[in-house]
Amino acid sequence: MAEGHTHPAAPMVDEVSDFEVLEMAVRELAIEKGLFSADDHRRWTEYVHTLGPLPAARLVAKAWLDAEFKKLAVRDGVKASLEVGVDWINGPPTGFGTPSDYCNLRVLEDTPTVKHVVVCTLCSCYPRPILGQSPEWYRTPNYRRRLVRWPRQVLAEFGLQLDPGVEIRVADSNQKTRYIVLPVRPDGTEGWSEDQLAEIVTRDCLIGVAVPKPGITANATRPVHPAVHPVHHEH
Amino acid sequence: MSKIEHDRTHHAAKATGIGDPQCFHGEAGPAKFKVGDEVRVRNLPDLFYTRCQVYTRGAVGRVTEVVYESPAAEDESWDNTDQPEWFYSVVFRQKELWPDYPDLYENDTLETEFSERWLEAP
Repeated sequence: MAEGHTHPAAPMVDEVSDFEVLEMAVRELAIEKGLFSADDHRRWTEYVHTLGPLPAARLVAKAWLDAEFKKLAVRDGVKASLEVGVDWINGPPTGFGTPSDYCNLRVLEDTPTVKHVVVCTLCSCYPRPILGQSPEWYRTPNYRRRLVRWPRQVLAEFGLQLDPGVEIRVADSNQKTRYIVLPVRPDGTEGWSEDQLAEIVTRDCLIGVAVPKPGITANATRPVHPAVHPVHHEH
Repeated sequence: MSKIEHDRTHHAAKATGIGDPQCFHGEAGPAKFKVGDEVRVRNLPDLFYTRCQVYTRGAVGRVTEVVYESPAAEDESWDNTDQPEWFYSVVFRQKELWPDYPDLYENDTLETEFSERWLEAP
């Protein structure tokens, strides 16, 4: 620390939730008891942070271009995932999924009259092997409890306003199936390559809170609210 | 369930290389419902643990897929894997779940899964 730098350091995080405290306590107890080592935990954490939504975007692009592959994806998502490099069953680190990555993926096919959107009202079940870690908003009680009750209003907050004639189908992922959405291929993408198509299939499109549009290759930024109970440092 | 010393690795031994829920394939016997059947969600007690959401209790929906066999969450949470059941994906009209859901959006639906014990013929 620099000479004469006396004011307290800023907190590294705004807020530590009760669940984070609980996770740390259980983790430390498990390490003390020898269920896994601190090194196992580090390797697992590093591994899950290497995962992201690119394989799922690739799966959608392939399905748009290849009708046979689309049929396979809708029938057997786990098998179709192999073609984009995701092995749900033999993938690291466990070889059988973690308790929240059960090896049952359903690809929900949108049509011009049916729009799927995914939530887990119980916790935040998410197809992590093919989508990576869920965004923070997906885990909030606000999204989880409101999406099943007011899906149109919640989608409108994401900037997605749908015609009343379109059936919104909410998939509540609260048992062992994990879902991704296969959106409708947008107009203006005629003749595009698989790479070009994969670029516009963002994570939000795969959860179902957005639809792909030519030129849009990033998720919408969500508002960040200040912590309700900020961390206080007295030292 | 009379294990004196609990074996923490039995699930890993069973599921590695096969997957969960695939590792319970063939253990649930014949399925009670089929695709297209109307079902009502029972309102069973859930004293310790459940994954059957309260908002679905008593609602009538339609089976869209007979998905897999697995111990029910209520058993598996206590590591009781002796009696796997069939699981069903059921679609409800939103209006059925939330009576004041706007009529304008009467096409809207919700799909979620249940183990067999939670479903009955309406």
